[in-house]
Amino acid sequence: MGLARVVLSSGFSRRYTGGKREFDIEAKSLRDVMKALDELYPGLGEHLEEETTVAIDGEIHDQPGYFQRIRDGCEVFFIPKLEGG
Amino acid sequence: MNDVVTGFKWVGTRPIRPDGVPKVTGRAMYAADMAMAGQLVGKILRSPHAHARIRSINTAKAAALPGVKAVVTAKDFPDQKFEYIGPERVAVNFWHVTRNIMAREKVLYEGHAVAAVAAIDSIIADQALALIEVDYEVLPHVIDVDDAMQPDAPLLFEDMITRGVEPTPTKPSNISKRLEFQIGDLDAGWSQADVIVEKEFKTAAVHQGYIEPHACVVRVDADGQTDVWSSSQGHFVVRALTAKLLNKPVGDVRCSPAEIGGGFGGKTVVYLEPVAALLSQKSGRPVKITMSRDDVFKATGPTSGGSMWVKMGVTKDGKITAADGIFKFQAGAFPGSPVMNACLCAFAPYAIENAHTVGYDVVCNRPKSAAYRAPGSPISAFAVESVVDMLAKKIGMDPAELRRKNAAGIGTPMIYGPKLAHGGYRETLEAIINHPDYKKPLGPNQGRGVASGYWFNGGGESSATVQINADGTILVATGSPDIGGSRASMAIMAAETFGVDYSQVRAIVADTASVGYTHVTGGSRVTFATGMAVVDASKKLVDDLRARAAMIWDVDVEGVIWENGHAKPASSNVGDFKPMSLKEIAGKAAQTGGPLTSAASVNAGGQAPGFTTQFCDVEVDPETGKVTILRFVAAQDVGRAIHPSYVEGQIQGGVVQGIGWALNEEYIYDAKGRLDNAGFLDYRCPVASDLPMIEPILVEVPNPAHPYGAKGVGEVNICAPMAAIANAIDSAIHRRLTELPMSPPKVVAAVDAEAADD
Repeated sequence: MGLARVVLSSGFSRRYTGGKREFDIEAKSLRDVMKALDELYPGLGEHLEEETTVAIDGEIHDQPGYFQRIRDGCEVFFIPKLEGG
Repeated sequence: MNDVVTGFKWVGTRPIRPDGVPKVTGRAMYAADMAMAGQLVGKILRSPHAHARIRSINTAKAAALPGVKAVVTAKDFPDQKFEYIGPERVAVNFWHVTRNIMAREKVLYEGHAVAAVAAIDSIIADQALALIEVDYEVLPHVIDVDDAMQPDAPLLFEDMITRGVEPTPTKPSNISKRLEFQIGDLDAGWSQADVIVEKEFKTAAVHQGYIEPHACVVRVDADGQTDVWSSSQGHFVVRALTAKLLNKPVGDVRCSPAEIGGGFGGKTVVYLEPVAALLSQKSGRPVKITMSRDDVFKATGPTSGGSMWVKMGVTKDGKITAADGIFKFQAGAFPGSPVMNACLCAFAPYAIENAHTVGYDVVCNRPKSAAYRAPGSPISAFAVESVVDMLAKKIGMDPAELRRKNAAGIGTPMIYGPKLAHGGYRETLEAIINHPDYKKPLGPNQGRGVASGYWFNGGGESSATVQINADGTILVATGSPDIGGSRASMAIMAAETFGVDYSQVRAIVADTASVGYTHVTGGSRVTFATGMAVVDASKKLVDDLRARAAMIWDVDVEGVIWENGHAKPASSNVGDFKPMSLKEIAGKAAQTGGPLTSAASVNAGGQAPGFTTQFCDVEVDPETGKVTILRFVAAQDVGRAIHPSYVEGQIQGGVVQGIGWALNEEYIYDAKGRLDNAGFLDYRCPVASDLPMIEPILVEVPNPAHPYGAKGVGEVNICAPMAAIANAIDSAIHRRLTELPMSPPKVVAAVDAEAADD
């Protein structure tokens, strides 16, 4: 279990968290992060799963996966999903 | 050309592609080559108007024509709920999608489908189309993005309220969405700058220009089971969209991939398959629809044209202190331009502490835009990289050196939030700076230009199955349509993992019923993500092979290792066994547990972004305005080139498309909003005689998240050419061209105008 700094995009926070963008969350995996945010803002977890790309310490994962590991002190950014050509 | 010694046996080599022989002998099966017994010809009636209300459609005469077996209009499609589903950039509103497939209340662009027929031959199908009576109320139209944003512009949707604006607007407009991103403090950044440049730019909508028009054959059986053969960048996405648009269970639709004659992003959506399915359902016979080139230009997605403003500040010693940009993109007839990507990628090559971007997604009476190679990024890169060049010239610094001074690297905060986790950009700059031709003298009216580009690259869901045949050959099946030589790269990675000869591996693209879900061939994701699935499946099978050998030798599996395609005892303590080949183990498959197969599915993450830096030399004829490309060198960080020839091909292809975007390609509309140049004679893509050899430089900074270090290579190469050429033209004739294409009339007009101030 580590303490992660979790950041939402401004658009996302405007829509779902009343503008709050940054959170400190104890987690072992991305699943824990999304569960914790969902407890704070019911329904948010599903939006995160469906609508975001996640960057964990800058490493981009197109689709957030429950299995992605969280280490102590890491930065987790949920950013708008991207599309390629 | 730039092979790097990797220690691998196959990775980094250039074997012949498995799909090469059928392609060069003309036997490869594209969608239009598919023919089924009893097949009908499907044709689509398209709008002659850029914008019109459909008062009525009468299909009775067409339906009564002998030989016509089915007629459909939008009324035959289930309507869809109005809601944006899914992620912000790629949010799909199926209310829009179904209306793009077949117009309902209005036609929104010339070429918009309004009805379709299926007949026993092409002539009767054409006659039937001519018998369909459509009563249009022609409406004012709007083509240009700036015009479409005006308060008095004709509205495509009378109830469209701009998303992303607070407070929510009360009046409708053509602006579908506004986006904004920021880091740092712009005012602080401007105050630190010694030189500030701001400029407006425009880019034209350009088509992906794939050689093969869209085509499909669809058969719907009496029980609703639907088989689709089509050319696409993702047959799983074709399946999903076709099922959704027809309200069918996904499991009732099976999609088989045909060979694809180019896509570049434009074949990640559907136009024909749901229409052909409905025609087949109504007629009870298979239906084939093939687009003409005219259809392709008028009714399929180009990428957006853009209208942009960029402002950047720099100190005298070359530190970029602030950057701001406004990007307004044509979405076409329905929301969904790649403007968000443009906002995120615009300044991404640089470590700029204070940056801000705003994007507008704007509908107008053009075909709905579709993805095109690094969608959005090349458009904003044209503006930003032009301004970077102007900054360099103003402070008297080499443009590549200015970029190197400000290059983003590991740990650089990105405007989209996180810090950059991968390097590679600086290495591309150094490859260009150290290139022997970079300092070569140039002649009169000749100039050199530099530009860079950034693209995210993709990962995500992919699947693979691997089978070992009785003779020891290996079959690799994936769900990724092969556009850029991916069957070769999959076979290479499998051969490397098994330690066998490349010729022992055959890679294929399997249909949706024969391999697990795989996302599109797009986003430069296949070698990375599908490659991981292939390697995972291969490793599983290697473990199985070790277990089978252990069973044959009657030893513990831990006592068996796998080396160079053979099971071997881990040590002499295990026993005195001769290495057993894959073929020998395959020969004992039945005795040791049955067929040797494995499957793997991944949600691949940790993809590294792509960076490119390119320079070109041009010669400008000041009398005719013709720009000749004399030299083009493109350095790109490719992670590790699995098959260097195909990586080089991607770079060369992207650069060539960028040259076309820079110099010639554009949609030309008449006063009624009708496209004047819907063909390759008038829509001028570069051909071989227009081009010098494009020299690719493979910069290899491996991605540790991939078993062989691969990064996506297919897209970032198109981000830089437009600005590189504009910068070269400016160096040649001291004229700053800010509007694409930089075609001869614009160059002549620029020559006749006063010299640029940079």
